[in-house]
Amino acid sequence: MTNSLATATDATPDVEDYRQKARAWLADNVARREGPVIHHDIDYYTPAVIAKNRALQRTLFDGGYAGITWPKNYGGGGLPAAFESIFHEEAHGYVMPDFGVLSGTTFGVCVPTMLAHASPEFLRSFIPKVLSGDALVCQFFSEPSSGSDLAGARTSATKDGDQWILNGQKIWSTYAHLADWGLCLARTDWDVPKHSGLTWFAVPCDSPGLTIRPIRQINNTSEFCEDFFDDVAVPDGNRVGDLNQGWTVTQTMLVLERGGGRSGDGRGFTGPGPLAPDLVRVARQAGRIDEPVVRQKLARAHTNDFVGRALGTRIGELGRLGRLNAGVAAYGKLFMGTYNPIRARIAVEIGGAGAMTWEDEDDHGDDVSIGYLNGRIMSIAGGTNETQRNGIGERALGLPREPSFDTNKPFNEVLRDAKNWSGKV
Amino acid sequence: MELELTSDQDLLRSTAAKFIEDACPLPTVRLLGDSETGLPPDYLRTVGELGWFALLVPEHLGGGSVSGEGVRELASIAEERGRGLQPGPFVPMNVIADALARSGTADQQAGPLAAIVAGESIATWAVATPTGAWAPGESITAADSGSDFVLSGEAGLVQDGVLAEWLLVTAGGPGGLSQFLVPTATDGITVTPLKSHDVSQRFASVRFDSVRVDGTHLVGNAAGAAEDVARQLHLALLLSVAETVGAMDVLFEMARQYAVDRIAFGRPIGSFQAVKHQLADMSLSLEAGKAISATATRAAQAQRDDALEIARMAKAWVGDTGIDIAQGCFQVFGGIGYTWEHDSHLFLRRITMNNLLYGQPDYHREQICVGQGI
Repeated sequence: MTNSLATATDATPDVEDYRQKARAWLADNVARREGPVIHHDIDYYTPAVIAKNRALQRTLFDGGYAGITWPKNYGGGGLPAAFESIFHEEAHGYVMPDFGVLSGTTFGVCVPTMLAHASPEFLRSFIPKVLSGDALVCQFFSEPSSGSDLAGARTSATKDGDQWILNGQKIWSTYAHLADWGLCLARTDWDVPKHSGLTWFAVPCDSPGLTIRPIRQINNTSEFCEDFFDDVAVPDGNRVGDLNQGWTVTQTMLVLERGGGRSGDGRGFTGPGPLAPDLVRVARQAGRIDEPVVRQKLARAHTNDFVGRALGTRIGELGRLGRLNAGVAAYGKLFMGTYNPIRARIAVEIGGAGAMTWEDEDDHGDDVSIGYLNGRIMSIAGGTNETQRNGIGERALGLPREPSFDTNKPFNEVLRDAKNWSGKV
Repeated sequence: MELELTSDQDLLRSTAAKFIEDACPLPTVRLLGDSETGLPPDYLRTVGELGWFALLVPEHLGGGSVSGEGVRELASIAEERGRGLQPGPFVPMNVIADALARSGTADQQAGPLAAIVAGESIATWAVATPTGAWAPGESITAADSGSDFVLSGEAGLVQDGVLAEWLLVTAGGPGGLSQFLVPTATDGITVTPLKSHDVSQRFASVRFDSVRVDGTHLVGNAAGAAEDVARQLHLALLLSVAETVGAMDVLFEMARQYAVDRIAFGRPIGSFQAVKHQLADMSLSLEAGKAISATATRAAQAQRDDALEIARMAKAWVGDTGIDIAQGCFQVFGGIGYTWEHDSHLFLRRITMNNLLYGQPDYHREQICVGQGI
């Protein structure tokens, strides 16, 4: 392997030339999109839909347009971010691979984390599978006993020769039933404080002993899964990061998960646009569009929507200026976690009975009802609002931590003592 | 709050900050409440020399911006003014300078405009109703009387009305809105000084009892000023919002630091989640406020069609959250925040008055609906 950095620089193509070639390649190889990008419902993604999109991902890979910024020696393009932007601009009118949430967990969070921490041997075989659409990655992070307290994971990994044996249970793994791999946090040392005994592993979803079950959610769909690990064997080569250094890896991941990895480039500013069309429709259907109180609610939702976007742009700018940490990145998520439920509630308040009851044959009759339920997701998923507030308070505002009763004590003692918690220190 | 000012723009901003720190820091601002004029000696002339009233005025009329982006420059100064709770009719003077530069007569530009740009003459506007509502032309009427006009009615929230040499009057009539630049000393004008909630800003009410003016006083077209008035509101919103964001930022930082320094129950109070989470929520509103303020300013600078709507959003957001933040900070300070000597009430007062000026959040939300054809 030659010096990949030098190779990448030497091979950096001319920007305009790259754009022309991408344009021509897209026209020859990819179908044009009819209408705007559709944001599908949760239950749209079936194995058949995923398979169709895998084929599309494979086409991109064969054309050299998958993983444009990822290292060349692992099958990526090895190019600066500007080239990825160019490709996205050119690909705007075309059908692109869409794996739902798995697009984000695979290409936005898990694999970038692996690129930073997994061994070159593992990445050499694994990354081409990702780029060709054969390795969609879900997150085996949360557990029934540890959600926001991610470092409290209790799934155990025990060394057995050159492999690890995993036992325990994960939960809230989005689309795990459609994924090929999961990035799994496990405890490898119980006799040290909780942050010091964690290790990450890449686990194939078809591993013997791993049972993945979709959970029926309050919105009556199944996006999330629960995952049971019964003596699941994983080779040591699948370890992501050093043994017991899992918390360092987690820091990389949390910044990516909170959106810090997607740097805004300040271009493509779009204004507020039409005033909350979904809510206006609800108000008109309810015959209440002229009521001052309703109009206040509509304008409030519209303002919150746009302020949230302005905040997102500002966080992107902070990223470009190198002023982003996990605390600052949490602002975007806390905004959604705070204002999505308010917006959902506004729809119910405006729509009243007509929005919350519907006739059986009305396909969109439950839009407000479902939106009301789904509006809660961002206040919990990926860390509760309270966890985001801690992150902001401690990492962006420099406020002192609460006294902690589990950071300096072996984790097995933490579990023992917490059962008899008296509040005495 | 702009993250990426050019070096010229940032020099203008930092010069403003330095001037405020030297000439009118908070201990000085406190004393202004009991002073005669409410301004330090020569204050307006000095800031005039710094260019605070020149940035929207073209060079051939004695003005000029440092970067060609006068609105952004002015917003960055407004923010520094908010940080230091600066006194004086900064918003009205700039709005009037801009109005005269665009729509004024040659005489108005040669006389009052030049003096306003230099900070030698004080101008303010009479546009709010006596209740403070943003309803141009509703409380003052202009009746045609041959070649003259007769102004009648009353305006509220006239900033520094007592000091002002000139008034920009917005009056309604059968055909629409008209604007006049009138000397405050004109017969029939009565300026009544008022005590105000905000000790660092002065307000007056102004009565017009059959005030006779002629066509030379018109700014723009008779009965054709609606667009000018909308532009003036837009500008006032941007500057007022930037000022409020600056004030919110300083107040919040005081509370944040206090939460680190203040010990209770054996530890810094900022370590308690009840306090920490409140500060995190306040800082979310504040960061969003900085974002929407900067977005509104850039949209105006770029002359986007939706720029006024974005400015209304900014005013509504900052108006509501500013008062929430002032209350939240009060909660962090505890008893000390209820003392006169603590600065927090000075910020609370400014943030609250700015929320009343140029239309409250409810008004702008309704206008957002109207503007969207709803």
